[in-house]
Amino acid sequence: MSAATPPLVEATGLSKTFAARGVFRRGRPVQAVRRVDVSVARGEALGVVGESGSGKSTLGRLLLGLQPATEGVIRFDGQPLDATMPKAEWRRLRRRMQIVFQDPFGSLDPRRRIGAQIADGLAIHDLVPAAERAGRVEELLRQVGLDPTHAQRFPHEFSGGQRQRIGIARALATGPEFLVADEPVSALDVSIQAQVVALMDDLRRRLGLALLFISHDLPVVRHLCDRVVVMYLGRVMEEGSAEELFRAPAHPYTRALLSATPRIDPARRAKRILLQGEPPSPSNPPSGCAFRTRCAHATAACAEVVPELRPLGGERRVACIRAEEIA
Amino acid sequence: MRPGTKRLWVPAGLVALIVLLALLAPLLGLPDPVRQDVAQRLAGPMPGSPLGRDEFGRDVLSRLIWGARSSLAVAFASASIACLFGTILGLLGGWFRGLGEFLAVRSMDIVLCFPPVLLALLVVTLLGPGAGTLIMVLSVLYLPGFVRVTYAEVLSARSHDYVEAVRALGASAGRILTRTVLPNVAGPILVQFSLAVASAVVLESGLSFLGLGVVPPAPSWGLMIRGARATMAQAPLLLLWPCLALTLTILAMNLLCDALRDAMDPRTATARPRLRLLDRVLPGLVPPAPNAEAPEAVLEVGGLTVEIATPRGPIRPVEDVSFAVHAGETLAIVGESGSGKSVTATSVMGLLPPAARPVAGAAWLEGRDLLRLPEPELRRLRGGAMAMVFQDPMSSLNPVHRVGDQIAEAIRAHRRGVTQAQAWSRAVDLLRRVGIADPERRARAYPHEMSGGMRQRVMIAMAVANEPKLLIADEPTTALDVTVQAQILDLLAELRRETGMALIFITHSLGVVAEIADRVVVMYAGQVVEQGSVPEVFGAPLHPYTRALLAAVPDGDTAPAGIPGVVPQPHAFPVGCRFAARCPHAKPACEAAPPALEGAGEGRTVRCIRWAEIGAKKAEAVA
Repeated sequence: MSAATPPLVEATGLSKTFAARGVFRRGRPVQAVRRVDVSVARGEALGVVGESGSGKSTLGRLLLGLQPATEGVIRFDGQPLDATMPKAEWRRLRRRMQIVFQDPFGSLDPRRRIGAQIADGLAIHDLVPAAERAGRVEELLRQVGLDPTHAQRFPHEFSGGQRQRIGIARALATGPEFLVADEPVSALDVSIQAQVVALMDDLRRRLGLALLFISHDLPVVRHLCDRVVVMYLGRVMEEGSAEELFRAPAHPYTRALLSATPRIDPARRAKRILLQGEPPSPSNPPSGCAFRTRCAHATAACAEVVPELRPLGGERRVACIRAEEIA
Repeated sequence: MRPGTKRLWVPAGLVALIVLLALLAPLLGLPDPVRQDVAQRLAGPMPGSPLGRDEFGRDVLSRLIWGARSSLAVAFASASIACLFGTILGLLGGWFRGLGEFLAVRSMDIVLCFPPVLLALLVVTLLGPGAGTLIMVLSVLYLPGFVRVTYAEVLSARSHDYVEAVRALGASAGRILTRTVLPNVAGPILVQFSLAVASAVVLESGLSFLGLGVVPPAPSWGLMIRGARATMAQAPLLLLWPCLALTLTILAMNLLCDALRDAMDPRTATARPRLRLLDRVLPGLVPPAPNAEAPEAVLEVGGLTVEIATPRGPIRPVEDVSFAVHAGETLAIVGESGSGKSVTATSVMGLLPPAARPVAGAAWLEGRDLLRLPEPELRRLRGGAMAMVFQDPMSSLNPVHRVGDQIAEAIRAHRRGVTQAQAWSRAVDLLRRVGIADPERRARAYPHEMSGGMRQRVMIAMAVANEPKLLIADEPTTALDVTVQAQILDLLAELRRETGMALIFITHSLGVVAEIADRVVVMYAGQVVEQGSVPEVFGAPLHPYTRALLAAVPDGDTAPAGIPGVVPQPHAFPVGCRFAARCPHAKPACEAAPPALEGAGEGRTVRCIRWAEIGAKKAEAVA
């Protein structure tokens, strides 16, 4: 995307801290997202990758205003999102941003027919007169590759891949400009996964959607996304175009992640960089660089300050003080 | 009409009959229930009074039916009032949290602290008996039940993605509560309602019996029992009728609510296969002898077929599956969900659920057929000569025991004469062996204190504790992060090299297969469709399904291509090739007859009638 077009969604200094649970709040607060800057342009697919606990799902929900941010500013089409905004204003914005969930079984109401669930968005925002809603639902079903005559069925009558299509149809009903897809294919079989990824790619191109694609599956992100953000313990480690980032990862974590991904083609298999241990708890992150406890290149300096996400030429940004040195 | 509603007819009819009788009492031409006729005191059945007369000579049948009116009116009215207010309070408390939650839930806790009968007695004594007082008391008594049930259900419902989805659509709180949350919490509320009505009928009778409910001479079941008790010796039947009415009403109510809850849930409508209890007697087939040509195979499975009896007839989730795994070798079984790969593994381990049984084939381990071993012998083998690692380590570990104790237990179960101290020190060694830092301290940890990767290491330590000849790993890394998955794969490969055990690795990830396995079995819809060494199968797949599966994996520069359609369900397996409906090369001949598993070179088999033809075409296209 060219730098001239202003981003549709832009967040600066975004943080989210979950207070400790329990009556006495004995545990430490969980810092799920820490000072993240991110932007998505119209028609752009931004991939957010990371392991569990990296804060990628929380980031998606923050951008949609489904959870209030602890700190930072989110702008949607230039307008700051604010929890104190009038409700009517919020509803108007809601229509323009939607979400697709991971779990194809938990994300649909088991007790309502799928047609009614898809029509919810139309009814809430009164987009289509009640009499024409059925027609619009059929159109949406056709758009996601389902049989339009199935609108009267219940979710349990569909397979996982079909349910995921229903979830996408529900999200598209309000005609959104921004779509957050939270691990939409992780629960699907590989043959179905490819179908759904192809559908999302097609819809994005046809409808000009800005897409935030959250995933732990790097190869999928590589095929679907223009740009990628790599997160670890709530922080952005690296950011850049998908092509560049996968070809020449600059951050040691990105490298480890890529090398750990199982590959079919032995020729493509990178030398495995085996990380020691598992990610530290987000409630007790290490000082300085979040990744230093598992990094093979860590030095004393890494523990001192939080490395800034600094430009590395072009769109590329990396949060590692030794990126050039270890390249 | 959904099949779930069929179960509704009998209880609904019963309840309707009872309610109708009570409602139509004035129209039935019954004798006046309060008119006394002392001359006919305690008279038996007679014309006009089929059930006889009571101690004041009043008609029993008439009093029974008129009594139903007051009993049911009080019960329904109080349960409905409690249900309405309780549901609203519970919804609001569960949805808005904060102060509302506190007030709604805590105030109900206070009501619950009073013994119900005492509270009722107190209020009735203060306000005087009568139906109105009763309704008020009973609705207060049943309110907390509704509030708590609704509150708990709302809390669990609001964490679901579909609620979040409606929120993301911009729905108002009112719409979410009525359209999305309420239908999903309606089931438990209905059950609560049935309990409340039933118990209100009983309580009403009880209070009337004590003289605190319906005021005599108005008829009520409780009053009838009270009256009959006095004359029990002369006319025992008088006691029977109101009790019978009470029992029948409550039973019908409970049945109705059960059926109603099932009918309202669209999921039960498809009639989930209800599994019949099966005779576990294995068919007297003589198992084929193990293949003499490959005597060194650790496990040899031949023609394994598993059958599950369902109401729609038997299904075969695994059919004619054969493979062998040798010492020091890793065999991957790969397939999508519904391919039968896990059923294959559990039948080898003898861990099939009771409704499933192997009906054909054999699984030879150390000269013994696992499918025909009695359970005690299987138990000796499990955790000994063969071990299994599951996908979810949290549900496979006992949460209340220290992991060190669990490993020590696994060791002592198979080795007599090992002391607890010896077993413990061996457990610590094993934990060190599977790469757990500080094993002495970690052995004393509980499963919930460990991360997912660490728990999987513990499971592996437990599985290799008795140096098994065969380790079956069923999706052991699926729940783990990719960097942790890499660690576990390396650990398994290392253990296999060191101990020379045979490893069967079940997975849906082709990438994992390529990384870890020597040979691969590709399964589709319960059958083996292709088998061979990993470089050969992945380098030059013969079966169209294998080829399509490889093309669906995002790896390399070409965009992944999905396979159209879905895997057929076991009760709808086609006669011919099971992949034909999704296969780009399918011909009418493919659907005509089941394809056989053909040999295709050294250690290579494929189940496709056109594999040679398609392969030749591909070679041509390349040339």
